[in-house]
Amino acid sequence: MNGVFAVVFAVAGGMFLFFDPEGFLPALLKGGEKAATLSLSLLASYCVWLGFFKVLERSGLALFLSRKFSAPAKKLFRTEDEDVLPIVCGNLSANLLGLPGAPTPLGVEATRRFLAAKNDYAADMLFVLNATSLQLLPTTAIALRAAAGSLSPADIFLPTLLSTLVSTLLGAILVFLLCGRRRAR
Amino acid sequence: MKYFSLLLPLLFLLLFVFAAIKRVKLYDCFTEGVKGAVPLVLSLFPYLAVILMLSELFEQSGLSAVLTKALSPVFSFLGIPPEISKLVLLKPFSGSGSTALLSEILKTYGADSYISRCACACYGSSETVFYISAIYYAGVEKKGRALPIFIALLSGFAGTIAACLLCRIV
Repeated sequence: MNGVFAVVFAVAGGMFLFFDPEGFLPALLKGGEKAATLSLSLLASYCVWLGFFKVLERSGLALFLSRKFSAPAKKLFRTEDEDVLPIVCGNLSANLLGLPGAPTPLGVEATRRFLAAKNDYAADMLFVLNATSLQLLPTTAIALRAAAGSLSPADIFLPTLLSTLVSTLLGAILVFLLCGRRRAR
Repeated sequence: MKYFSLLLPLLFLLLFVFAAIKRVKLYDCFTEGVKGAVPLVLSLFPYLAVILMLSELFEQSGLSAVLTKALSPVFSFLGIPPEISKLVLLKPFSGSGSTALLSEILKTYGADSYISRCACACYGSSETVFYISAIYYAGVEKKGRALPIFIALLSGFAGTIAACLLCRIV
C-alpha cells in the first residue's frame, strides 16, 4: 500500500504541478470532505447492522446458522475458531443479499480476529471474496437502469451474476493457490 | 423486484420476534451492538480519508483520463468497449464515483443499449477494491498485503471481460 500511495501521489502531484497548480489543495480537501461524509453514513449503517447482529448473536440464531455452514466455511478459511464463523457467515450472507452497509462491519471484525489469531490465509480469503463482490441481485444497477427508462431493467441479472461468479471463483482459487503456499513456506 | 423491498423489514421482524421468544432483552442488546459502531468508524477514519484523498487526486489530476486513453486499445482488444473503460478504471477506487459514472453512461447511451448493459454488468461484477482493502486491513502493518489486492484486482478484471462477453451473447 505504501508503494501504491507513493507512486499515485507522486504522478498525480506532478501532473497538478504542470497543468493545474491551483487545483491541488481543493482536490485533497474534497477527498477529506468525502471521507467525513462517508464516515457519517458508515456510522449510520454500522449502528443499524451492529445492533442487528448483536440481537442475532444473543438469540442463538447466528450460531445455529453458522453451524449449518461450518463444515464448508472451516475448510474455506482453514480455521477451527467457533467464535469467528458466525461473523464470517453473516458477512457472506449480507454480501449475497446485497444488504447496503451490512457486510463491512462484520467483515472488519472477522478480519481483525483472523489476524489476531495469525490466520493470514483466512483474512486474505475473506478480503478477496468481499472485494470481488458476490451479490446475487445487482440492486443498484437495476435501480439505475429503471430510473433511466429501461424496458426490462432486471435482464442484466444473468450476465452480472455469471461474471461476478467468474471473478469470485477465480479470486478464491488464486488465494488458495498463492496465499496458501506463502503460509506454508 | 417488487418483492425484494419486503426482504429487509421481514428480516428484522422475524429476527426480533424470534429473539423476543428466546427472552433476549431487545433494547439492551441492540444498544450494546450499536456501542461498537463509534470506535469502529473512528479506527477506520484515517485510512478512509487517505484513500479518498488519493482517489480524488487520481481523478482530478487527469491521471485517470490519461490512463483511460492509454489503456483503451488494450481494453478493446479484450472485448471491453472503449466507452466503459473509464468505469473499469474508476471502479476499484471509488464506489460513489463509479455509481455516478454508470448513471451517466445509462443516460448517454440509453438504458437498453449494449454499452449500458455491459456497463451495468461490469459495475456489478467487482467491488471498490482499494477502499475495501483500506478498511479491512486498517492498522495492519505487515508485508504481503499487495498479493491479495493484486488477486482481487485481477479477478475483478477477469469478471469484467466475462461481463462484456456475456452481454454480447445473452
